[in-house]
Amino acid sequence: MTRYLFRRLFLMMFVLLALSLLAFSLGYMFPGDIVQNLSGLRQIDENQRQQLVSYYQLDQNYLQQYLAFLNRIAHGDWGLSFASQQPLLQEIKLLLPATLELAAYALLLSFVIGIPLGIVAAFKPDSIIGKSISALAMIGYSLPIFWWGLLLIMFFSLALGLLPSAGRISVLYEIPHRSGFMLYDIWQADISYRTEALHNALQHLFLPTVVLATFPTTVMIRFVRDAMLNVWEQNYIKTARAKGLNRGQVLYRHGLRNALLPVIRQIGLQFSTLITLAMLTEVIFSWPGIGRWLIDSIYQRNYPAIQAGLLVISTMVITINMLTEILHAFFNPLARRG
Amino acid sequence: MSKFRLYLEENNRSPLTQLWREFKRQHSAMTGLILFIGFFIISLLAPLVTPHDPYLQVDELLLLPPSWSAAGLVQYPFGTDDLGRDLLSRMIKGTSYTFGFALITVAGALLMGLLLGALAGMSKGVKSSVFNHILDLALTIPSLLLAIIIVAIIGPGLINTTWAIMLALLPQFVHGIRNAIDEELKQDYVTAYRLDGANDWHVLSRLIIPNIWEKLTIMATMAISTAILDIAALGFLGFGAQAPLSEWGAMISDSLDLIYLAPSSVAIPGLLIFTAVLSVNLVGDGLKTAILKRRQS
Repeated sequence: MTRYLFRRLFLMMFVLLALSLLAFSLGYMFPGDIVQNLSGLRQIDENQRQQLVSYYQLDQNYLQQYLAFLNRIAHGDWGLSFASQQPLLQEIKLLLPATLELAAYALLLSFVIGIPLGIVAAFKPDSIIGKSISALAMIGYSLPIFWWGLLLIMFFSLALGLLPSAGRISVLYEIPHRSGFMLYDIWQADISYRTEALHNALQHLFLPTVVLATFPTTVMIRFVRDAMLNVWEQNYIKTARAKGLNRGQVLYRHGLRNALLPVIRQIGLQFSTLITLAMLTEVIFSWPGIGRWLIDSIYQRNYPAIQAGLLVISTMVITINMLTEILHAFFNPLARRG
Repeated sequence: MSKFRLYLEENNRSPLTQLWREFKRQHSAMTGLILFIGFFIISLLAPLVTPHDPYLQVDELLLLPPSWSAAGLVQYPFGTDDLGRDLLSRMIKGTSYTFGFALITVAGALLMGLLLGALAGMSKGVKSSVFNHILDLALTIPSLLLAIIIVAIIGPGLINTTWAIMLALLPQFVHGIRNAIDEELKQDYVTAYRLDGANDWHVLSRLIIPNIWEKLTIMATMAISTAILDIAALGFLGFGAQAPLSEWGAMISDSLDLIYLAPSSVAIPGLLIFTAVLSVNLVGDGLKTAILKRRQS
């Protein structure tokens, strides 16, 4: 296991190195002035330009420039945003929790709904229940998420007026910023209107979570169903049945453990899709997360922000990928080889 | 697999015929296939079958409701948009953008993936491991982020985002093809063929490609549905097809501000995207089941 861990960590370093190279070269590929793209400053006079050129080592060769870039990233100097002229790292720190909160709840919802439904669908694949679960999964799998979000807004927010359609919380409630995770912040805050604020935040959270969870849930249903059907054919299941265990025992002791193992890995593989979908969800529900910020950045030609967004989001996805792989290897000794 | 085999009928048909027989038995898959062929034909013949010019703006007929409402005209089944353009014609034209470009994207990604996958699968040692790690990096960049970067460098447009989607699809193709080739190379008949004096190219073209094409087809159908959704999403965000192109996702975002006046102009393009993706997924699932059943029989 230790050897495996070291190998994985080494691999991760390699991938992160390649990522930093990509992010570094983006600064040169984006249109416009290189000094502006690196610093994020809009107006640069001649004096300042000289300073910046020597600071970024633009007069040196590319290797020197790359090392200077790595040094800056490590020290937290990520440049300024073209749009707000604020430090990028600061902005991202404020935005990232909102995205993570949304994605985490959606992922959780997809487990809670997807895994049991997948098992039920695998248990009796030819019954009406099994077939209708598969059909529902197929429909959810084919829905374009932005349209699905619009439909839900039209129905629940505009027609019925039950749920809010935008933002994280009503402007009536003032929540002191602590971690950036809304529910946690409300819980920790010392305010008299805690229950109302919590209720309001949950209402705001409901639609985006459902929309974002639709795709992962259907993937989970299909995946668990296929894995279950596959495991059910194996000889050790027959052995267990022959020993005299009843269906429930076989399912719990032999079926689930083997069928649910690959699910851990699936999380890592699906995570980058989840981020893409989260970006779209944020745009539709005006959720103040990093995805909407990135999409606004492209409308504003905010190149430093795009570079920083790439670094943050990809690092996050790589880390989650690696963690799920390690977790998978931890539970499944067979995966440690190779 | 059943223990007893009863040879009631001659079962020595070609694999393709067997596959088709298994496929035909699934009604959902057949429905999907018919829809898929329908979309394909429309996307090819789009300029010929549009009842009106999709870009012609008729000033007298702004925001005409669909023909099933009392104020609609039968010549304009889905009504017109705020510039007086016929929505049906625009949707037909949009088929070749959303659906047709998705097919082209996947075909391109498949070709490149086959090339790179074969290179990765047939090579060993350091070369193959370096290759894998670059792929790992590419797999971790979300497709929308990749599209944003490409749009930032070379500007928005349908063709530019097609490249982005192709790049985003590529890693999973290369991964899948590499694994499939790895699996094939372990077979005994490959060793036997090599002992007969076959070189890498012979093994690849005569043994591996014919044996992995089924997996390729399934991968391609999965990729087509992703490509349709991505093209539509990028069109919706305004990175992909630019006005006046009537790409379905762009049509939704165009009519978003008219959602109270003309809800059908948002609903119908979305329904089309959904149907197109559903048809592709149904065909993909049907193929998967048919291949599984053929193996078992």
